[in-house]
Amino acid sequence: MSRTLLVRLSAVAIALGCAWIAYTQAPPPQGKQQAKQANNTISKVADDLYAIIGDGGNSTVYVTNEGVILVDDKFEYDGQDIVDKVKSVTNQPIKYVLNTHLHGDHTGSNERFLPTAEIIAHKNARDNMVKNKAPGVMRVVFTDETDIFLGGKEVRMKYYGRSHTNGDAVIYFPALKILASGDMGANNGPNVDFANGGSMKDWAATLDQVLKLDFDTVIPGHGPVSKRQYLVDYRNVAAGIPTTVTSMVRQGKSKDDIAKVFTTNGGLWANPNVVNKLDQIMAELKN
Amino acid sequence: MSRTLVVRLSATLLALGCAWIAYTQAPPQQGKQQAKQANNKLNKITDDLYEIEGDGGNVAVYITNEGVIVVDDKFEYDFNDIMAKIKSVTAQPVKYVLNTHHHGDHTGSNAQFPAATEIISTANARKNMIDGKQPGAPRVVFTDETDVFLGGKQVQMRYFGRGHTNGDAMVYFPALKIIHTGDLMAGASPLIDYSGGGSLKEWAATLDGAMKLDFDKVIPGHGPIAKKADMLTYRNNVEKLRTEITGMIRQNKSRDEIAKVVQDKYGWAPTGLQFQRGFDGMLAELKR
Repeated sequence: MSRTLLVRLSAVAIALGCAWIAYTQAPPPQGKQQAKQANNTISKVADDLYAIIGDGGNSTVYVTNEGVILVDDKFEYDGQDIVDKVKSVTNQPIKYVLNTHLHGDHTGSNERFLPTAEIIAHKNARDNMVKNKAPGVMRVVFTDETDIFLGGKEVRMKYYGRSHTNGDAVIYFPALKILASGDMGANNGPNVDFANGGSMKDWAATLDQVLKLDFDTVIPGHGPVSKRQYLVDYRNVAAGIPTTVTSMVRQGKSKDDIAKVFTTNGGLWANPNVVNKLDQIMAELKN
Repeated sequence: MSRTLVVRLSATLLALGCAWIAYTQAPPQQGKQQAKQANNKLNKITDDLYEIEGDGGNVAVYITNEGVIVVDDKFEYDFNDIMAKIKSVTAQPVKYVLNTHHHGDHTGSNAQFPAATEIISTANARKNMIDGKQPGAPRVVFTDETDVFLGGKQVQMRYFGRGHTNGDAMVYFPALKIIHTGDLMAGASPLIDYSGGGSLKEWAATLDGAMKLDFDKVIPGHGPIAKKADMLTYRNNVEKLRTEITGMIRQNKSRDEIAKVVQDKYGWAPTGLQFQRGFDGMLAELKR
């Protein structure tokens, strides 16, 4: 190799090295703009299925020999951590991202994945994202059911009706009898997003449809990996809330009376996302 | 530039050139295996929508500034011609291929698209492709509706029920008021593929569902571009066939008598696909 070439190559290598250091070691911006640090753990649920739990909504990672199917992608600042966590269990690239609904704690890294992956959600979820000017709007939507076939494996994405929003999908892994429920089963709820078409009235009926699927394990929208019974219990609370509110209103009870009962019941009933929305829940049930 | 380098570069270029000539000018194989030549024509329907007609089913080409959405892809031997025709009107890559149903004259080029191209069809169309061991089965399927949004444009893919098969999608371009019907509207009289789950009984209702959409122009599965009124005529012909044959069955007419009617009045040649794939299945379905 000629000496000139060697010198030139070395210069290029040093320049690239510096650029890389600058890129990866850039200090976080100061003050209010300080970037949040991702804080997640990946855990094995089945041989080829993992849950990433920590920030925002839970992510599910389904590994096939033709690529990875990812359910939900947390916040924008979790994107790199999701990629790293996936890389820790497979070399396969993320080919599909399935969003259970529109919220930014489940779709926050969409923008990052859009150029290299197909992102799919329910049609209403996309409409809400467009309405809310949310980033990372997907190209492909469905209304009733869409299935992904990759590497000989199947994932079923189903819409059963309103609950947390008007566009919540559940993601079903038939070979594994595992369900990712999104926020229609999540520890921070039942949390009705009325502005995005959610419904307390319809929630239990929607879960009744979901429960017709044959699954043993639930990866909820938030909270630890659970058994099927988690969603059965959740359904019963979702059914109990509107029944209790309607009958107490008929008896002339006040919002405070209802709130007291909910707080006494405890558990999901007492969740601030339920108690603090009693006005809206009562308004919906009046109709 | 050194002389050695020039010689080496020339050799490389020559080799590449020869490979290219060999690739593009390969003579068709002899005998039964002779490769068919694509024979298609590109028609402009609007500024951003084209149709490729000729071999197999009609192809629609929808151009956006983020890529091209293609409806159906004819036979395997049409792939290069489809790509060349698209290239003649846009530099955008094909991002989506939407299959109206499973038949090889509409899905024949599926397997040749790169993995980056998303192929979408109905759940039943995919199942029929798997059952028939056809290549290029789509990775993404739907049951009721799927929409693709690309470059600020929208394409709606809908399933309205059985007809030609049990998995026919129509592809609707809302901004253009144009619909691609697949073989739910093709030719003069319906081809009912009973082995692919088709149904004469349900066909008219399926078309009724589609006609609720707001469109003026129709790209049929085969044949020239038509109007919405032509779809109504087609629908009424489907219903006329069903009513007439049901009546003959009730009057205990023989198979031969019914065969003569579909041949004379509906143009079902005894050797044609309509008769071979549809006739006995139709008698069985209408007897029920």
